Amino acid sequence: MRSKLSTLFDALLPVIATLAALAVGTVMLLLLKVNPIEAYAALWDGAFGSANSFAETLVKATPLLLVALGICISFRGDVINIGGEGQMIVGAVLATWVGLTFTEAPGWLIIALALVAGFVGGGIWGGIPGVLKAYFNVNEILSTVMMNAIAVQLMNFLLRGPMIDPAQAELASKIPQTARLIDEFHLARLAPTRLHAGALIAVVLAVVVYILLWRTIWGYRIRAVGQNPHASRYAGIKVSRYMVLALLLSGAFAGLAGAVQVYGVNYRMITDGSASGFTGSAGFNGIVAALFGQLHPLWSIPASILFGALLVGANKMQRVVQVPSALITVLNGLVVVFVVSSEIWRHRRQRRRLAAAGEEEAQPKPDQPQVQKEAGQ
Amino acid sequence: MNYETLLIGLAGVLAAAAPIIFAVLGETISERAGVINLSMNGTILLTAMSGFAVAYTTDSLFWGFLAGMLIGALVSLVVAFASITLKQSQVAIGFVLALTSRDLAYFLGNPFMGVPGPRLQAMPIPFLSDIPILGPLFFKQEASTYISFLAIVLAWLWVFRTRPGLMLQGIGEKPAAAYIRGANVNFMRYVYTVVGGALIGLAGPTYSLGVRAGWMGTISGLDGIGWIALSITIFGGWNPARAAFGAYLFAFLQWLGLVLQPVLTQVPSQVLQVAPFPLMILTLLLVNIGDAEWVSRTLAAMPESARKFFTKFLRAMRASPPAALGVPFERD
Repeated sequence: MRSKLSTLFDALLPVIATLAALAVGTVMLLLLKVNPIEAYAALWDGAFGSANSFAETLVKATPLLLVALGICISFRGDVINIGGEGQMIVGAVLATWVGLTFTEAPGWLIIALALVAGFVGGGIWGGIPGVLKAYFNVNEILSTVMMNAIAVQLMNFLLRGPMIDPAQAELASKIPQTARLIDEFHLARLAPTRLHAGALIAVVLAVVVYILLWRTIWGYRIRAVGQNPHASRYAGIKVSRYMVLALLLSGAFAGLAGAVQVYGVNYRMITDGSASGFTGSAGFNGIVAALFGQLHPLWSIPASILFGALLVGANKMQRVVQVPSALITVLNGLVVVFVVSSEIWRHRRQRRRLAAAGEEEAQPKPDQPQVQKEAGQ
Repeated sequence: MNYETLLIGLAGVLAAAAPIIFAVLGETISERAGVINLSMNGTILLTAMSGFAVAYTTDSLFWGFLAGMLIGALVSLVVAFASITLKQSQVAIGFVLALTSRDLAYFLGNPFMGVPGPRLQAMPIPFLSDIPILGPLFFKQEASTYISFLAIVLAWLWVFRTRPGLMLQGIGEKPAAAYIRGANVNFMRYVYTVVGGALIGLAGPTYSLGVRAGWMGTISGLDGIGWIALSITIFGGWNPARAAFGAYLFAFLQWLGLVLQPVLTQVPSQVLQVAPFPLMILTLLLVNIGDAEWVSRTLAAMPESARKFFTKFLRAMRASPPAALGVPFERD
C-alpha cells in the first residue's frame, strides 16, 4: 500500500521539477551576469503581465494542448509519435483547402468542415506510421520523423504551386503562401485580444479524451496494449489494430491543431521552407507538455499553459535582459527529464511490486515484452 | 553524361557520405553498448555550427574538428549520465537534447551566419591518385573522407575481431553475462557512448568545413540528417560495414536525385528532395518485415520454391537490435 505522503509527493512532482529547473536557470543567469529576479520578472510580465499577454499565452498554449492530447493517447498506447509537426502541416493544408475552395458556403459550416478536414488529414499522416508499425514492424519514432520531412516538402510544393495566393503568383516575389481566408471563416474571438474559440475547443476535447481513455472500451484497450501487449493479446485484444488507432488519433489531434492555427491565428498558410515556420515547433513542444502533464489529458491543460507562458515570456526576457531564449528551451528540457524520470521510477516500483505478487502465485510468465526494446530502436 | 563527370559525381558521393558515416558509426557503437543516442540530429547541427565557429575564430581546421568531437562527446556524456547513472528514459532525454542542441546551434551560430571561413581542400595521395578509375574515385578526396574510410574498417575490426569488441557485443546483448565475465558494464557503456558521441561530433564539422562549407543557420539543410542517420543505423543492423553501405546508398540516391533533376523537368524539385525519406521508410520496412506475424503465415502458404527465395531474401535484410538496447543495467 502506498502511503498518503508518497501520493502527495507524486502529485507535487511536476511543481518540484519546475522549481528545480528554475533554480538551475537561476545559476545559469548568474553565470551570464544577469540579475535573475529581473529576468524572471520579465518572463512573468511577458506571459501574464496584461490581458493581452495572457491571451498570447493561451493562444500559444492552444496548439500545444491539442498536440498533447494526441500524445496522451499514443504514449498511453506505448507508441511514440514524434510526427506532430508533419501531422499539423497536413491537417492545416487540408483545412485551408476546404476554406479556399468552398467560399460560398456559410461560415459555421466551413469552419466545422475545416476542423474535420484537419482531424482527418492529421489522422492519415499519423495512421500511415501506425500501419507501418503494426503490420510491418517499422519503428514509429523513425517513420514519424520521416513523415515530418515529407509533409514539409509537400507543404512547400503546394504553397509554391497549386495553392499559391493568386495575388502572389502574379508578383515577382512569389511569397509561398495561400490566399487569406475570408472573414466569415475566422474562428470567433473570445475577447478583444487574439484569443480565439480554438482554445475552448481544445479544453472541451481534453475532457473528451479523458472520457475516451478512461470511460470507453477503446480507451481501455489502447491503454492495455500500451501496458502489456502480450497480456492484451492473450486477452483477445487485436493489438495491431489498437496500435494503429492510437497513432491515428494522435495524428488527428495534431492535424486539428494545425487547422485551428490557420483558422484562429494566421488565416492563411505561409512557409519559410521549414516545419517550425508554420507550427512554431508546437508538434514537438506538445510532446513536452503532455509528458509534463503526466500523459493525462486534463493535467495537460495547465501544462500547456505553463509551456505557452514560458515560450511567450522567453521572448520578453530575451528583449529585456538580453539572454538567449534558448535558455528557456534548456529549462523546458530539464523540467521534462525530471518529470519523466520520476514517472519511470514510479512505474518501475509498481512493476516490481506486481512481479513480486505474481511470483508468489507461481504463474508461468510470458516472455519479457519487447516494448522497451522497440521503443528505443 | 560522359565518363569523367560520372567519376567526379561518384567521388562526390563518397565525400558526401563521409559525415553520415561518422554519425552512423558513432550511433552503432553506442547502441551496440546498449545506449540509444537519440540526440544525434541536434548534435550534428550543434557540432557543425561550433566546428565552423571555432575553425573560423582560430583559423585552424584542426581545432574546428576537435571542438566538434568534444561537443559531441559532451552531449553524449549527458545522455550517458541520464540513462546509465540516473536510469532515465533514453528516448526522452535524447529527444529533449536533440531539440535543445538544435535550438542552441541556431541561436549561438547567429554571428557566424554566411561568413566565408576556412574549408578542407582536396588532398590527392601521390601515386595512388594516378591509378585510372580508382585514383580519381578514392584518392583525390578531402582528409575527412580518407578518415571515414579508415573509420569503417577500424570500427568493423574492433566490433567483430577483437576481444574488447566481443565484450562490447556482450554488454549490449547480455549485460548480466558480461558482468559475470568481469566487465564493468556501466563504465564501458559510458566509454562507448562518449566515444560514439565524439564520432557523431565529427559529422558536424565534416559538413560545415567540407561537404557544405560554412554555417547558414536554419537554411543549412542539415536539419533532419541525424534522423536519417538513425534509420541507417537500423538498416545497417548494428554492423559497421553494413551501416556504411547504407550511408553510401543514401548519398548515392541523393546524388541521383540531383542528376535526374534536369532530365525529369516535369517532376517538381520537391519530389526529388523528398525521395530519400520514403525510400528510407521502405528500407526500414524491408529490414523489419521478416518479423511480422502475417508474413510468416503468408510464407508458409507459399509453394516451396517461392518460399525459399523470399525467406532467404528476408533473412538477408533482417536485422535485430542488441537485446539490451535501451534497458538500464542493474546488478541484483
